[in-house]
Amino acid sequence: MEEASSVYNVYGKQPDSVVREPEIKKSATPRAEALRELYFTAKSSASMEFPYWYTRRWEELDGEIPIIRRAEALKEAFSHLSPVIYPGELLVMGKAAYLRGSYPMPWLSEAYFMASEDKMYKEAVESGKLSADGYTTWGQGGGNVTRSEGNVVSIAGKFGVRKEEVPAMLQIARYWKDKSVDDIGHKYEMMVPGYPVKEALMRSVICMFDSGYTLPQGREVMNYYYPLQYGLGGMMTYCEEMMSESAGIPEMDRLYYYKATHLTLQGLQRWFLNYEKEARFMASLETDAQQKKEYLGIADRMAWLAEKPPRDFYDALQMVWSCHVAVLNEDAISGLSPGRLGQVLYPFWKRDTEKGLLNREQSMELLECMRIKFTEIDCFASMGVVGGVLSGNTFNNLCLGGLKKDGSHAANELEMLILESGMSCATPQPTLSVLYDEKLPEEFLMKAVECTKIGTGYPAWINNQVAMAFLMDNYGHEGMTLEEARAWSIGGCLETSPGSWMPLELDGEVYWIPGGSAPATSVGVHFISLPKILETVLFDGMDMRTGQRVFEPLGQKLETWENLWEGLKRYFSKAVEVLTYCNNIQHDAWRKISPSLVNSMLKPDCLAQGKDIGQKGCRYNTTFNIEICGAANMVNSLAALKRNVFDNKEYTLDDYRDAILANFGYKTAGEIGSFSLIDQQPAEKHLEYSRILKSSREAPKFGNDDHYVDSIFREWEEWFCDMCHNYTSLYNEPMYACQISVSTHAPMGAVTLAGADGRLAGTTFADGSVSAYPGTDKNGPYALFNSATCWDHSKSQNSQLNMKIHPSAIKGRDGSRKFLELIRAYLRKGGFHVQFNIVDSRMLKKAQAEPDQYRGLMVRVAGFTQYWVELGKAIQDEVIARTEYEEV
Amino acid sequence: MNLSCKDCLFFLAVDAFKGICKRDKARITQESEPCSHFEKAPRCKFCRHYQSQTEFTGLCMGIRAAWPDLPAANCDDFQWIGKN
Repeated sequence: MEEASSVYNVYGKQPDSVVREPEIKKSATPRAEALRELYFTAKSSASMEFPYWYTRRWEELDGEIPIIRRAEALKEAFSHLSPVIYPGELLVMGKAAYLRGSYPMPWLSEAYFMASEDKMYKEAVESGKLSADGYTTWGQGGGNVTRSEGNVVSIAGKFGVRKEEVPAMLQIARYWKDKSVDDIGHKYEMMVPGYPVKEALMRSVICMFDSGYTLPQGREVMNYYYPLQYGLGGMMTYCEEMMSESAGIPEMDRLYYYKATHLTLQGLQRWFLNYEKEARFMASLETDAQQKKEYLGIADRMAWLAEKPPRDFYDALQMVWSCHVAVLNEDAISGLSPGRLGQVLYPFWKRDTEKGLLNREQSMELLECMRIKFTEIDCFASMGVVGGVLSGNTFNNLCLGGLKKDGSHAANELEMLILESGMSCATPQPTLSVLYDEKLPEEFLMKAVECTKIGTGYPAWINNQVAMAFLMDNYGHEGMTLEEARAWSIGGCLETSPGSWMPLELDGEVYWIPGGSAPATSVGVHFISLPKILETVLFDGMDMRTGQRVFEPLGQKLETWENLWEGLKRYFSKAVEVLTYCNNIQHDAWRKISPSLVNSMLKPDCLAQGKDIGQKGCRYNTTFNIEICGAANMVNSLAALKRNVFDNKEYTLDDYRDAILANFGYKTAGEIGSFSLIDQQPAEKHLEYSRILKSSREAPKFGNDDHYVDSIFREWEEWFCDMCHNYTSLYNEPMYACQISVSTHAPMGAVTLAGADGRLAGTTFADGSVSAYPGTDKNGPYALFNSATCWDHSKSQNSQLNMKIHPSAIKGRDGSRKFLELIRAYLRKGGFHVQFNIVDSRMLKKAQAEPDQYRGLMVRVAGFTQYWVELGKAIQDEVIARTEYEEV
Repeated sequence: MNLSCKDCLFFLAVDAFKGICKRDKARITQESEPCSHFEKAPRCKFCRHYQSQTEFTGLCMGIRAAWPDLPAANCDDFQWIGKN
């Protein structure tokens, strides 16, 4: 066995030679285990059924009012979607007629899934839209269809499409050319002053992707209240009444909105009833009495829910899942979070258990089945987006804890079972997050610690009070009160999202349930690479990798530390400005061509106002943000330049430019096929640069409670969080800061030259936003906490800290208490979020070499848990390299 | 016309490669040889409104583009041509 420190960065005593597994292992119910095994065999597959019927109806209705045309197209598509029910399932419905089914939405964007020789694809490449795709690597195992095989064609490097459907796929894509959100938006974004800078930003991968046509919805919290309270039939009745009230009255858009919602509901009803029919058909073939009974139960449930509100917990869970899939099917979405589901469903669960209609085992079986269904979700988008940003993950974040409307803690028994099912049936979805508040009971927190310790990567730990402070700051002008701030939840991996309390009435009792009340809370400027911005500053606006100019020359020499700061702020501001304008146009095209109908009907107050999400129908609309990546590397580089160039004058900036271009005399990450700094290999001339590399690496590093570098970090954060408010969204609301890397630290690292911090070219950046760069945090966890909290986290939508701890460091009940205290210490310092991999990294290295032996192994990346085998190598290398704490 | 399990009423697709037989729960591929219980699933290629143009493209009602394997169980206009 290799010495641990040769595989990863170690803090504390070297572990012994035995590779440790998590101390607790639990088993799923046989039903869930069988379904999970089936999932493990399934490949991501795309079907053209939904896009076909959508496009066909759309084409028929040329000239119709746009929102009605959209609704008719959705109705047609939902009505024709083939139902599939797998043996043993208790919950049914899926995005497409495959277990991991999905489909392209060419009305959003159509070029990226064309063949690379196609003219449409080439045009997209030239405009920089697909630049990130080239630096994205997929995991070669699991369900990814990375190459064409037999009668299946690989699309976007992940999805398998039957070859019989490929001509139809191309034909439909061509229909949408010059009509899609992407194409219409592009036509108008070119009118933005400075547009060439935008293309240069995309080509250099300083910016990762456009949000308006890639993932226009998501990073938000679902609201299931209306269907749970009124059922689809009740919602239709309401629309009918409102149509009568609004027909012929000024503000006629309300009429079209209600009519469009009514049409969409008709489509959903037909979709539900198609499942009823299929369940009856499956029952007719079934010889096993229990399975037959279950199919007939599903049939009855789907027929009931097509019209009426849920009768019990099982109905309610099915309704929640059905609505969730319905929203996912109207747009390309990642990060559609069920929110505080344990509190939403608690009234049904409590009543059923009190009446003896539901026991613990039945509850667990249903919750485990729910985990499998959420894990089946795939999102079809370009390789750069699904691979480079999302790592194939879909970020359905289920939150636990937090506070009730009255300010008391909100943890309940159903949430304990959700945690338990997350342990017994470990799957990436839904990922779990604890909204930590000092009021939460110890028993609940210890249960959550037990779950984190099992090695699933969830729950993540989020600071309830910091999030509420952020919400009050940003949504106060829209009327948010402290009481309503308590209804918040995480949308997507880590996006603080506003919520509202909804009065669910059940058996004469009113329960205030939380639900999302804003559209996507993370759209706008999506991922600006900070180390790459600094690189352009050092090279006077040039991207030296491609040799292309990105920004105008600075027009001054960087003679002082202040000059360097000014240059950085200037280029960053320019990038934000042009990207904001372009994304506003794209989102405007989206709301006009492809308005949200399913999500809108669920979100307060769209139905009440008669306005969809795109018309500010939601209660809260300050939802555009500016996302960054690579802060730790940028700050470490700035610290190295400050000390070595401006303070000690040991080197000149030209010395650094030379060293950076020469990659400090090392081979590039691409050459050696590893993206971890630990594996990099010197080239012939490395001795020429050994002194400057040593000085760079010895410069103060973020994560050690070192004032020299932390003060730079603080200055950056204060400036960045503040400057975001200077930019306004499409909805004329100020934007805010967002700081999560998701997976972008890999492709963005891949295109970035070496840094003054000693990071080498092509290697992956530090993950998250307040995680230390692997191996540079040498003073222990509490020093890391001090560095991470040197700025006010409530000024940003989020911050992200990932830690890796060896299982032996928190072993047993005492270890759990120590672990909880560690988490508390960070959150009490004002940290917003911390998440953990409890793993022996040598096992990850082994799993990298033998992926087939580790199909079920999961790791926490940056805001999400994913199957190891489905991660690209660049992210795998980064997770292995992270500093592993052998003691806490 | 060469038919396989993917054309069968009892085929339950797991992914683009394979599926499960709804009758006996056997794991089969999309290309598996049909058994004696084979029954055609409603698909455009079995509909009287479908006109083939190329191997994988055709027209529905003489106007709308379609393809032979497009599922048609939920199409109101579907009409069998020689069901079995």
